[in-house]
Amino acid sequence: MKQLLSPLYLHKRLSLTLVLLAAFIWSLFSVTWSRDLLHAGGWATTVQILEGLIKPDLSPDILELAVESSWVTVVYAVTGMTVALIIAFVLGVLGSGVLVSSRPVRIVTAGFSRAVLAIIRAIHELVWALLFVAVIGLSPYAAIFALGIPYGGILGRIFADMLNDVPGEPIQALRAAGASRLHCLMYGYLPLIRSNMISYTMYRFECSIRSSAIMSFVGLGGLGYQIQLSLADLHYDEVWTFLFFLIAIVVLIDAWSNSLRKRLVL
Amino acid sequence: MMSKIKIPSKKRRFSFVAFSILLALALLAGSWGHIFYAERANFFTLFNEQNAEYAKKFFSGLFGLQEEKPAFTDKEAWINAGKLTYETLQMSVMAIGFATIAALLTVIPAARNIADGTLTVSKRWYRWILFGFFRVIYIFSRAIPELVWAMVIVFILKPGILPGAVALALHNFGILGKLCAEVIEDTDARPIRNLASSGASNAQILFYGIIPTVMPKFLTYILYRGEVIMRTSIVVGFVGAGGLGQQFKLSLSYFHYTEITLLLICYIILVFAADFISEGFRKAAK
Amino acid sequence: MPLIELNNITKQFERKIALSSLSFHVKKGEMVALIGPSGAGKSTLLNTLAGITAPNTGTYLLDGVPIQHYKKRKELAKKIGVIRQQFDLIASLPVIQNVLAGRLGEWGFFKSMLSLFLPQDKQLAANALNRVGLLDKLYDQTSKLSGGEQQRVALARLLVQSPAVILADEPVASLDPARAEDVLAMLTKLVKEEGQTLVMSLHSVEYAKKYFSRIIALRDGEVFFDLPTSEITKEHLAELYLLKEMAL
Repeated sequence: MKQLLSPLYLHKRLSLTLVLLAAFIWSLFSVTWSRDLLHAGGWATTVQILEGLIKPDLSPDILELAVESSWVTVVYAVTGMTVALIIAFVLGVLGSGVLVSSRPVRIVTAGFSRAVLAIIRAIHELVWALLFVAVIGLSPYAAIFALGIPYGGILGRIFADMLNDVPGEPIQALRAAGASRLHCLMYGYLPLIRSNMISYTMYRFECSIRSSAIMSFVGLGGLGYQIQLSLADLHYDEVWTFLFFLIAIVVLIDAWSNSLRKRLVL
Repeated sequence: MMSKIKIPSKKRRFSFVAFSILLALALLAGSWGHIFYAERANFFTLFNEQNAEYAKKFFSGLFGLQEEKPAFTDKEAWINAGKLTYETLQMSVMAIGFATIAALLTVIPAARNIADGTLTVSKRWYRWILFGFFRVIYIFSRAIPELVWAMVIVFILKPGILPGAVALALHNFGILGKLCAEVIEDTDARPIRNLASSGASNAQILFYGIIPTVMPKFLTYILYRGEVIMRTSIVVGFVGAGGLGQQFKLSLSYFHYTEITLLLICYIILVFAADFISEGFRKAAK
Repeated sequence: MPLIELNNITKQFERKIALSSLSFHVKKGEMVALIGPSGAGKSTLLNTLAGITAPNTGTYLLDGVPIQHYKKRKELAKKIGVIRQQFDLIASLPVIQNVLAGRLGEWGFFKSMLSLFLPQDKQLAANALNRVGLLDKLYDQTSKLSGGEQQRVALARLLVQSPAVILADEPVASLDPARAEDVLAMLTKLVKEEGQTLVMSLHSVEYAKKYFSRIIALRDGEVFFDLPTSEITKEHLAELYLLKEMAL
């Protein structure tokens, strides 16, 4: 506690806060603040949008459409996560270096895998989507890969970090019992990180639902596509119906992952 | 030597974990089934001559093989891209600022241990209402992706940096709020209760008890979301909210491939720089 | 021919000398306790015996063969098994998988992968668990077991692995006295039944005298005395622990 309150320590955090504050003020200068920022009918539109929030369109046609596009959104999220998990598993294990015994080989393979993970996760899924559509056209696989690749990068990095943080004793005991490195992975590393891996994957699955919804922006179906169509027709009440479905999916997955996490504590 | 002994049988119980595994398998089967049968998407037809031709054209375009003067060797284009990168950076910083302010203003009543009075010893009936209200707002805010917020905001605000920043902030406000509320819920209540029982007012409790305890974690989360915002800033541009994204979308629709390469380079540099700086800051905050 | 033959072993970490010209032999079937003040080099010695730490100088013959000639892990696992204080098990796996981990050296790739889903050689695991009195915990998650029970699972794994020599590094240090006696009694009994050789480091001289026939005392990385239990006197022990304190 003493160390916590040392002046140097406080000083460091205070200056960090000040730097962030200064950066924020600097960013505010980029906008010329005037009434001109709003569209002519901006206020009226805001009111209309809020009206839609209170009275969403709950007609059977729209509800049916919403259920259907919710399913499509879930489909792309699940298939994208499948690809992501495969990428994350392969590159995560390689990036952690737990399978390689020779030191120079490990440094090269782990470094290379981690660099690949860093690059593929730096690029946003929608940018990947635009690139994929440019190459393979409007195929469902464009969306699946666009989702799977950056999520694979995010998950893979975390998996690699988790594998590196595994305590040494149980692994050493396995080695002493005659286990090979691959055995150690299957019987040691993976069971030890399993519950953390599952919670993190569930969290990312929730994120992937949102990402899947915006894949529609490049022309693939789903909730985002319907939202876009309704916005184009200025039907704000329909927009809110679709948004409520999106919120419901996210809340459901959140509840699932929370109750699973509670039961997974080691 | 080895005597046969009866191996006890495994007790099978239907647990929540088993249910989750089944649900996950069902989702996998249903989703891939939908892709294969409903969408009739054959994975192998992807590798046809036409796509190979497109891919070849696209990649040779990206590397500027057909152009005499690719954008990434052009000084003007670099200056322009640099300006856009600068704008995007400003947009992201503004977004994280807005999100932080909104989250900090709402986070105290949104913490469960404030609502039920365990942290401050005082109980007020309206606290549960405030708690529920802000939690619902958080869910709303974070369940709706940045891009959808941006699509709506561009109806209200004129294109530029501001709508992008507002859209990014609207989504991240809910995430930051939820994360920070959980930090407050996880704080050790004892020192703060001591403060309260020694007669400190609510404002005093806030400034002397709660804020110093939770600030380090808050800073970590703010920086972490800052990284994510930097990465996402490009997509709000797609719907006309300014920055690198807007130009990226334009270049793509005019088939100016070398410009895309240039913008991607700038984007990746921006994201890596943000990661690097935020990691340094986070270490300093620890 | 002795099973373990150490000649002039030295081991240096940075500037600290952990073992200095250490020599002793252990015959098959012997039960040896290592005692000595903390920092005397007991753990380093056991790690050297296990082939985890390579000594700077000296020779170590295991069953007549230099330790560095055991290139394959599974050959070494046949000769030497290790049990430690705790944290040795994979807490998130069921007990049976932890016990069967002792067979990993024997199994090929496919059998070991399959075993994660359909445990192989079940009878072997059940037998081992029966001998340590935990047959009913076969499918329990290891993390749900008590400290004493976890050490018994580690014993069952050693039974399945069935090495010629068992090296134990303070295996009961983290258990309460009653549990500690249980585990020690069980380990020594099993070792005798299997005709194995045991080298165990202990901080309790009482236990060493009660369960072992030979005691090697280490101090400052050297053998202080190496005697049959019956010949050890109070003076020996007083000197072993007192001198250390006076030197400080």
